[in-house]
Amino acid sequence: MEDIIIPIIVVPILFIGLPWLVFHYITRWKTAATLTGEDEKLMEELYDLARRLDDRMCSIERIMTAENPNWRAIACDPAATGIEDRTVATTAARRIGQ
Amino acid sequence: MSARHTRFYLDKENKKWKGVCAGIADYTGVDVTIIRIGLVILTFVGGFPWTIIAYWVAAWLAPVKPRELASETPEQAKFWQGVRASPARTVRDVRSRFREIDRRLAEVETYVTSSNSRLAREIEQLR
Repeated sequence: MEDIIIPIIVVPILFIGLPWLVFHYITRWKTAATLTGEDEKLMEELYDLARRLDDRMCSIERIMTAENPNWRAIACDPAATGIEDRTVATTAARRIGQ
Repeated sequence: MSARHTRFYLDKENKKWKGVCAGIADYTGVDVTIIRIGLVILTFVGGFPWTIIAYWVAAWLAPVKPRELASETPEQAKFWQGVRASPARTVRDVRSRFREIDRRLAEVETYVTSSNSRLAREIEQLR
């Protein structure tokens, strides 16, 4: 009895299950996203571009710092950009009103 | 067809025997000494014929590193190691670099435009 059952179990596992497993992973591996030559070229270009822009930014920031050492503070100060300084305008208006 | 950056090559410049270990080090970015020691330990621990067979197969199958790739700077080599390890992460890195540049440029732009308006206001006051 055992002489029949064991081959019946083992043979399908060996000849169907195992190739199935192997091919399953082969197809998974084949369909996995891979970098093509085009992607690689694009990546290289973008990386180079980022590096060059970085360098340019650095030199511009250096020039700005040489011109005005605290330009960053002025750029970040909302009073200097968003809100106008109205004191001059209001005093002028008051003078006209008088 | 230019040389691909994401392939495994034998590194003949830093070779000890066939350049497989140096190639693995170049591909992954791990130090070559660690890979050599690891391979020797693996051979002694029990992979005796298999590590050597794998080494031979790799030496036989893998192409030698093309000359145009040999002249890359350390920074470029590091970049390509990152690409091989995880292209998605490298793309994210490059994107974050662009965002950083954008932010800095916006700062400069704010300063330039605001200093123009300040200058205009000062001229207005002088009238």
